[in-house]
Amino acid sequence: MLVELKLKTLLELINTSSREELIWMNGYLAGLLAQNPSAQQALPQPAQAPAPVEAKPAIQKITIAYGTETGNSKKVATDFATQAKKKGITAKLVSLDQYRLNDLSKEEYFFTVISTQGDGEPPATAKKFYDHIHQNGFKLSQLKYGVLALGDTSYPLFCKAGEDVDQQLQRLGGQRIVSLQCCDTDYQSSASSWFSGVLEQLSNTGASAAAALTIGAPVAKKATGKKIYKGTILTNINLNDRGSDKQTHHIEIGVDEELDYQPGDSIGIVPENPLQLVDTILALASSNNGTPVTFRNETGPVFDLLKKKINIAWLPERVVKQYAAIVKQDIPDMKIGLVDLLKIYPVKDAKQFYEVVAILEPITPRLYSISSSPAAHGGEVHITVCRDRFKMDQEVKFGLCSDFLSQLPSGTEVEFYVHHNSQFRLPEAGKDVIMVGPGTGVAPFRSFLAERDASGASGRNWLFFGDQHFVTDFLYQTEIQNWLQTGTLSKVSLAFSRDKTYKVYVQHRMLEQAAELWRWLNNGAYFYICGAKSPMAVDVEYALLQVIERYGGKTAEEAIQFLDQLKEEGRYLKDVY
Amino acid sequence: MSKNLSPIEKIKTQSDALRGTLKESLHDEVTGAIREDDTALIKFHGMYQQDDRDRREERSAKKLEWLYSYMVRLRLPGGFLSPQQWEGLHHIAGDHSTGVIKITTRQTVQLHGILKSHVKPTLQAFNTIALDAIAACGDVNRNVVCGAHPKQSAIHEEIFQYANKISQLALPKTKAYYEVWLDEQPLTDKKQEEDPLYQDRYLPRKFKIGIAIPPHNDVDVFANDLGLIAIIEKGKLVGFNIAVGGGLSTTHGNPNTYARLATVLGFVGGEEKTMKAIYEVITIQRDYGNRSDRKQARIKYTIDNMGVEAFKEELEKRCGFALEPERAYTFNHRPDFYGWHQNHEGKWYYTVFVENGRVLDDEQAPIKTALLEVAKTGKANFRFTCNQNVIISDIEPTDKKAIEDILNQFGIIAHTEKAGAVRRSAIACVAFNTCPLALAEAQRYLPTLIDKMEPILEKYKLSDDEISVRMTGCPNGCGRPYAAEIGFVGTAYGHYNMHLGGDREGMRLNKKYKENLDETAILNELDTLFGVYSKKRKKGETFGDFAIREQWVTA
Repeated sequence: MLVELKLKTLLELINTSSREELIWMNGYLAGLLAQNPSAQQALPQPAQAPAPVEAKPAIQKITIAYGTETGNSKKVATDFATQAKKKGITAKLVSLDQYRLNDLSKEEYFFTVISTQGDGEPPATAKKFYDHIHQNGFKLSQLKYGVLALGDTSYPLFCKAGEDVDQQLQRLGGQRIVSLQCCDTDYQSSASSWFSGVLEQLSNTGASAAAALTIGAPVAKKATGKKIYKGTILTNINLNDRGSDKQTHHIEIGVDEELDYQPGDSIGIVPENPLQLVDTILALASSNNGTPVTFRNETGPVFDLLKKKINIAWLPERVVKQYAAIVKQDIPDMKIGLVDLLKIYPVKDAKQFYEVVAILEPITPRLYSISSSPAAHGGEVHITVCRDRFKMDQEVKFGLCSDFLSQLPSGTEVEFYVHHNSQFRLPEAGKDVIMVGPGTGVAPFRSFLAERDASGASGRNWLFFGDQHFVTDFLYQTEIQNWLQTGTLSKVSLAFSRDKTYKVYVQHRMLEQAAELWRWLNNGAYFYICGAKSPMAVDVEYALLQVIERYGGKTAEEAIQFLDQLKEEGRYLKDVY
Repeated sequence: MSKNLSPIEKIKTQSDALRGTLKESLHDEVTGAIREDDTALIKFHGMYQQDDRDRREERSAKKLEWLYSYMVRLRLPGGFLSPQQWEGLHHIAGDHSTGVIKITTRQTVQLHGILKSHVKPTLQAFNTIALDAIAACGDVNRNVVCGAHPKQSAIHEEIFQYANKISQLALPKTKAYYEVWLDEQPLTDKKQEEDPLYQDRYLPRKFKIGIAIPPHNDVDVFANDLGLIAIIEKGKLVGFNIAVGGGLSTTHGNPNTYARLATVLGFVGGEEKTMKAIYEVITIQRDYGNRSDRKQARIKYTIDNMGVEAFKEELEKRCGFALEPERAYTFNHRPDFYGWHQNHEGKWYYTVFVENGRVLDDEQAPIKTALLEVAKTGKANFRFTCNQNVIISDIEPTDKKAIEDILNQFGIIAHTEKAGAVRRSAIACVAFNTCPLALAEAQRYLPTLIDKMEPILEKYKLSDDEISVRMTGCPNGCGRPYAAEIGFVGTAYGHYNMHLGGDREGMRLNKKYKENLDETAILNELDTLFGVYSKKRKKGETFGDFAIREQWVTA
């Protein structure tokens, strides 16, 4: 259909574009066509774009829905709503888990801010909505929508959930009025320019594709777009004493440049693969270590790429499928390590192995709560890493990243980035804080306490900590003792589960201290939980409800309402994993 | 006495009869330690707070506090346990401590490494087998020791009863132990625990009482604050020579401190007078002892400050009767009688060699298991000696074989017989890694040093010579190093002062011969000294006596 020149230009454009850029183009063109069937007329020069042709009444009402895990989407959506209100637009702000799905068909202007988890999943709070729009059989004929996707380019399925929502709404008949914007972890500027575009669209009812052009920024950013820090391991000590079943490393990383983080934030680190595993793989593939290969725009010795860049530990099904195609064998749908794949379904030769290399995915970063405080530990960032040990087929295995980190000697250089968590912040200095952080869950609270200690915050602090044994597993014991002595900590409640014949956990300590806990809460205290999502955080929440019920003189239902109220006031905050 | 009282004095008088803030300390879950003032008070309840000194640095790097634990020492007058009590002790040691049962130089046992959360369960478990730790440490009369071996004479049983009675006489009246550790209800009437002997200030310092049955001086009677020497005439116990002012602890660099043997003041006859004299010796120390300088507070300084005659006059005044002149006695032996012996009633006794008193199963011998098996038969009692050994006791002739079979089965008899003469009579204190006072190793090192001494002894054909060798990790004297023929007193890690010239029976103290020797220097010295001794000694002359004659040190 296209003349050769146009086709050539298009193909050139396609070939030099990243996947994310193609998605943007796809959306852009679709949006263009949807708004103006006569695309020819609508293809304006960028310079002409902002000029409103004629003034029509502005849009009065929009909905902004968010699906959040760490709170970033919520923060972005809230900002949007505020901006919209300033422009005189009524913006209904709603979390997707509280969104009435039946309302969707009645929506006119609907904007979604949604993040993507781990392997391309939507956040738990958006799951219901996500599943709902993936059921066919209904039409969203009057829906005009836009999607802002938050993600992390370090993951192979970057912003997948946002992409899915964007496409699915279109399939259901929705009209995309702004193209999908995918944002990396440093989402602030791209998110706000996207929404400026939205607002312009809405107030400028000449709403043409021109507006979409003004959003203009490239859809996605490369991983290099976010600030990567280079640091040096200063200290790496196992906090657990001899005889412990646990191995929890306190790692201090020195950084020369200025670090931008706050208590509550995490850092992302990309682990390297174990040397022995890489050697085994190269031996199975009959490959030399030094053979240069290309993997995602990067060329280097195959050994180096396998060691530092490529995920070989646990390949997702989609990669296994591609592997099967290359080696021309039937392989059942499953997740499997590359080494096992090579053993069971060997490659023909090294050359075929390099084809396999090309379809593999990058190693994804792991997030660790920061346990240092900017005020107390200048020029350093600390993390608290439990070396994850588990048994598989009678064999003791270690989690890739915690294993990697636990073995880094001081002096090693590491790269990391800061992952901001705006939903897990200290309150004003005068407020009381209750922190429940067993095991490595204590990490952000060490940051909180160090920060409050250094800044002389007047609010009281109460820490609930637990682990297996008092003697060997009391993480940061001497620091906690010092904070108690200086008054930074008003109370510490401890639960060591394996010191007695019966198990004691933090939630039991909460119930023992229920009266006092209620007094703190009722007095305006902020309640934080960090650590295992299940069962810890679930049990703690249940205990908290009991405390509210029993000492707040409430029914079970009222207790839940009270907790919801706390959530709404930002006084019940979780960082669980 | 006008000087300021030592801080410990204030802690004692303000402790509400030794209760202090112990309950609060136990409830403090953030630390394995107890409050500082309470560390002084738990001694009166038979405990010391200790920490694993080997682990301090590593734990600090891990942001963990020191590894605090408690040593619990039993009050065991005369050092006796029934087989049921031994079995209980065995299990308590396994459940709550390092598992090692340590026989002390004062005829009792102590357990180490008990965590704060295990202290109450430990004491409660001991209570179920009628054992307690009251006054096993602290500024009070400690465990009363007496000649251990019942084969010694028919009056042994009588002396053993004295140990019990004296322990009761000088037991603090406070019920704090029962309230704090055994969860008994607080007293409603505090008058019930009024204490005319200790009042609210207790003694200025620890106080030790020992009873010897001549000619055996296994209790090192002159090393006690108050030593009683049983006087037996025509096979009957008629009374005691009373000796006052023994004590071996010194402090490096403090010239006012010295080791001293007790001075015999005279003889008292009959139980009533004996008990009265003992009581009043304690009250004199209570009233005249130095309460401002704890390094001058033992009765040995009190008696020297008062003068021996003045002390005796004060004692006679308080007793209301005069002491008779001391009666004749002789001591000719101090080590234990190892192996099988029979008493006057025909009962059998087997003394097991327990190196440095540490009962455990190790590569040498499974002593702990063997003793448990013996206890399970219910056919033997257990008696500890001041030389840190255990006597399997009171075995009926018909049961002897059964016990002997067990001892053979676990190689205990071979182990006892195999031990060389020097090793069997040696003593070492605990020192590292738990004793907070230790400057150098003792019980963990002395066995190795003896390993290296034995070839030298053999070279000079001295292997059967029971030369008494004692080692302590500091100058405080728990292992009685000043009452040995060769004493090693730790000065710094790996370094010891070497003392020579004590006698073999505990009647004469040794003197410092060389300072700050390391192992090589020690072995070189011994090689030289043993060489000279083997060539020049007279027949029957002990190494200690020879050292005086040779003027290596002056008597």
